[in-house]
Amino acid sequence: MAVSDVGGEFGSRAEAGLLALRAEPEPEITVSPFERPPERPPKGPWRWAKDNLFSSVFNTILTVVTAVVVVAVLRGLTAFIFAPERQWRSVGVNLRLYMTQAYPQEQYVRVWVVFGIMVALGGLSFAFWRAGGPMPVRRITGFVMGMAGFGALVVLVGPFVAVPTKLVWLAVAGAFFAAAAVVHSSEWSRRTEVSSMRVWFTVLVLLILAVWLVPFGHHSFVDGAVQPSEPGTVAMSTKVPLTVMAVVLVAAYWVGVALRDRVPANAVKGTLALAWLLSVPFNLFVILRDPDWDYGRVLSVWLPLFALFAIGGGVLCWFATNPSHAEGGRLLGGLILVAGGLSYLLTYLGLLPGMLQVVRLSILLLGVFVLGGPTFGGAARARRRYVAAWMLFIGLLYYFVAAINSPSTVRVNTELFLGGLSITILVAASTMIISFPIGVLLALGRTSKMPIFRVMCTTYIEIVRGVPLITILFFFSVMLDLFLPRGMSIAEIMAVTLGYSLFSAAYLAENVRGGLQAVRRGQYEASEALGMTAVQTSAFIVLPQALRAVIPALVGQMIAVFKETSLLAIVGVFDFLFIANKVVGTQSEFLGARRENLLFVSFVYWIFTFSMSRASLRLEKKLGVGER
Amino acid sequence: MTDETIPEVAGAVPERLADRDDIIICEGVKKWFGDFQALRGISATIKEKEVVVVLGPSGSGKSTWIRCLNRLEVHQEGTIVVDGVELTNDTRNIEKIRSEVGMVFQQFNLFPHLTVIDNVTLAQLWVRKRPREEANEVAMALLDRVGIPEQAAKYPGQLSGGQQQRVAIARALAMDPKIMLFDEPTSALDPEMIKEVLDVMKELARSGMTMMVITHEMGFAREVADRIMFMEAGEIVEVGTPEHFFTNPTEDRTKLFLSQIL
Repeated sequence: MAVSDVGGEFGSRAEAGLLALRAEPEPEITVSPFERPPERPPKGPWRWAKDNLFSSVFNTILTVVTAVVVVAVLRGLTAFIFAPERQWRSVGVNLRLYMTQAYPQEQYVRVWVVFGIMVALGGLSFAFWRAGGPMPVRRITGFVMGMAGFGALVVLVGPFVAVPTKLVWLAVAGAFFAAAAVVHSSEWSRRTEVSSMRVWFTVLVLLILAVWLVPFGHHSFVDGAVQPSEPGTVAMSTKVPLTVMAVVLVAAYWVGVALRDRVPANAVKGTLALAWLLSVPFNLFVILRDPDWDYGRVLSVWLPLFALFAIGGGVLCWFATNPSHAEGGRLLGGLILVAGGLSYLLTYLGLLPGMLQVVRLSILLLGVFVLGGPTFGGAARARRRYVAAWMLFIGLLYYFVAAINSPSTVRVNTELFLGGLSITILVAASTMIISFPIGVLLALGRTSKMPIFRVMCTTYIEIVRGVPLITILFFFSVMLDLFLPRGMSIAEIMAVTLGYSLFSAAYLAENVRGGLQAVRRGQYEASEALGMTAVQTSAFIVLPQALRAVIPALVGQMIAVFKETSLLAIVGVFDFLFIANKVVGTQSEFLGARRENLLFVSFVYWIFTFSMSRASLRLEKKLGVGER
Repeated sequence: MTDETIPEVAGAVPERLADRDDIIICEGVKKWFGDFQALRGISATIKEKEVVVVLGPSGSGKSTWIRCLNRLEVHQEGTIVVDGVELTNDTRNIEKIRSEVGMVFQQFNLFPHLTVIDNVTLAQLWVRKRPREEANEVAMALLDRVGIPEQAAKYPGQLSGGQQQRVAIARALAMDPKIMLFDEPTSALDPEMIKEVLDVMKELARSGMTMMVITHEMGFAREVADRIMFMEAGEIVEVGTPEHFFTNPTEDRTKLFLSQIL
């Protein structure tokens, strides 16, 4: 990309001047030689195999040995999967258990609403971030040919079916292969590209059609008992929401495509990013509880408090963001921070008995916001945005605090009523989102010039990294209550998620630190020479570069976080793996079916982690644009 | 050499600059890196709208001195007063000075994750607190001035070295600095790109900017400089107008340097 663009420099003044100096200006090169490499005659498969697999004696031995190993593994795996005694029904019957465990069935609509929100946001984000791109038809046909060949190989080496059946399946694979090969070799496929999003949507539509048409059977698991399987397609209560989700996804995508050229893209992207962030707590609330508001208290306590902090804090932020009050703003912020700290101290000493926890927290947060005002303020629009951010922030805080303090209308059996894949995703996503800012701050602290920050952050990181995750999970599930202010308690799953986040943050900090070290000294100097403050330099110059440099490491850690949620089983959370291993594996009607379920679970884990790693590759490519 | 030794030679300050105000005043500036003394008592004043070229062999402390002027390096002894503000550890003074003093680096140091126009607008938005529209206008006007308005949407990695350095100059100018410091702005460039950068700097000098330039481009020094300061081993050896410096240097070390370089 960068190479071909260099060809476009001829417009610049100095180049033009240089060209003019020459007696005979050379003819301008219209097509850069880098853009179209000379087409080599295509190699046949035999030639390719000879060049790549059998080029030397050693290579030939290696090829043969590897082929034998691959065939043996494939044969063993297929023998396991397709053996008649396998109870794959145990997976199908328990799908609901796998997804939500004991979540009350009449409240499933909540889960679907949450899913719908994420799908709609996803569709819009795909459109605005221009996900996908032109996909050559030949890549699709090549993929189909590869899969057909692989399928044929499985049928051939698989020890599981009679010869006539094998022949039928071989014929099917052959037909697919032939059809794809015909398209593949045509001139049309060489020239044509289709939008990859369309391809994915087509696959999605096919999947939805399959749900409606293929008789998977109709299982359900109600009140701890498996309802007998019925022939036919899956239940309406699954088919309809799934279809609605697909429609929402595609519709959101097309709405996004239609809008993206008519609205300011950056503003929409910012809004979408914010919506993603807010969707996490919002979704948690939709799934976990539906506050039964006590309107008397809302009107007498929460609304006045909110109004006080939103308006009063807004005025203070407006003051602090005025460039001519820079020093005053910092001083004010410092004073408010001290007042917030004092309020905690006085409460601890028992001198402010009636003060609500959230009020103290609000004072501290206001201090931070006012302190940041001079750094991020400026022109009227920036100031308005800053005040709006404060008001939004404090509004959310009060909404959630008020909601937590109201009884829930979602009736559940126990505290840990949610389980399965939902809790795995919920904990993993919350951990990723909570640990990220903490990890970044820790990394900045550890590389800070101020010794107190450096020592504190280093100590924290080294201590947390030296303690096993399981210890931390136990600690937070059992002992956290002892450390909280009197009268305050948090749900065990939240406590465990918090502990997991703090653990993950320490590792994340080390990854980010690697990125910080990769940012060259000159970048700091250039930023400082422009008069930017240390906070601005970190936020706009250093962190963006540091984070992009460590995307692979960060994604690797996110994948680890996702997989290691299975350790939560140790503190009594019914996570996805636990259900396969200990719940389904011990159901009396499916005794001995644990291996099937473990394989299923590993496959689902793999799908998630594989998608994450592919997404990170795309992200790397996209962010790498314009960099050398 | 000691603090009070300020080499005064004929034509040290050109007459037309005599009644201008001092904008940079250095007195006995000393700096150590560990045991190594990089600056051995620099004393010099620079007038408003003056173009000073600093020459000297590598390792003579030129870069260290110029970087002390906006406190990228911290001097340990002596005083530096820039635009009436003394450089101390007070963060407010430092930020104030840095927003008044533009700097151009040998390695350009553009922000690779931002487009050219964002490179030029970023500090305007967050330090000068300008509205985005105004910042964009200023940036486009400056990119036009340095001759690359058509590259505004590209990333630095897609530009040639000369173009990058011109963006870096535009980025520094966007802050409306009173002083521009150039730390070997053409040393990392291919020969055919040096001219385009020097042209921009000449234009800047003609427009009346106060400039301090470290360079090895003798042609530029001869043509543009009001004064030339020659440094060696952490001290200023000789100061003079270009014609004095190139035709009639007094110090032996200056003669030796010129004989090697010309």
